[in-house]
Amino acid sequence: MTTDFGAKGSSGWLAALSVGLAIGAVGAYALLLRVAIVRNHPEGYVVAFALATALAALAVVRARARRWPAWLALGLSSLLLVAGAWFNFVVARVPEAPTALRVGERPPDFTLPDAAGRPVSLADYRGEKPVVLVFYRGYW
Amino acid sequence: MAELQGLGAELSEAERAGVEIVAISPDPNERSQKVAEGLRLGYRFLADRDLAVTRRYGLVHPGGGPDGRDVPRPATVVLDRDGVVRWFSVSRNYQVRPDPADVLRAVRAL
Repeated sequence: MTTDFGAKGSSGWLAALSVGLAIGAVGAYALLLRVAIVRNHPEGYVVAFALATALAALAVVRARARRWPAWLALGLSSLLLVAGAWFNFVVARVPEAPTALRVGERPPDFTLPDAAGRPVSLADYRGEKPVVLVFYRGYW
Repeated sequence: MAELQGLGAELSEAERAGVEIVAISPDPNERSQKVAEGLRLGYRFLADRDLAVTRRYGLVHPGGGPDGRDVPRPATVVLDRDGVVRWFSVSRNYQVRPDPADVLRAVRAL
């Protein structure tokens, strides 16, 4: 009787911990996206979801009478684990390919319009000032 | 826009040191300008509408955008005063950008 009660209690506690960890990981990643160390380790949320899934599985195993919180936690965390892993390892992967960039060499010159429509050439800066070129995906 | 926000605050230090930050994307100019104003950054935005320059640099992610459109691979390149590449980084996961501290280190080493 005593062990039963204890087991039920620990199952609910584990389920709550699992849900907290899964949702906390989503929130922390979204909030701290500007922090380089968080943004540059997206596998962190996958690890958190895996941990949450393991906790929920343990909660299911330990559940006695009231099983639904453990199953709910397992459903939520495993869904997030699959979605998160798919996004991080499949969707967000950028295929590698050779570039025209070599350290110690000049990259190809170009002329492109700036925000005011004025043409800007990379060569304009030569002998003038150093340049940081940032290629980005755009605002969509 | 997390990629530019991430670079923004820290790279403004590089800007003050006389380094020009040139941001290239297929975005139309007006939109890029709005983004720059919103972030209050002194970036020079250049529009590579058809990705011709991005392609010449070998930085296209084929079909990587919405509706299978081609988009740039996120990349950061540090050029010295003579236009020579001193440091560069190309993302292998589009969530990941170079750490601004690394970019600044490369800028300071010029």
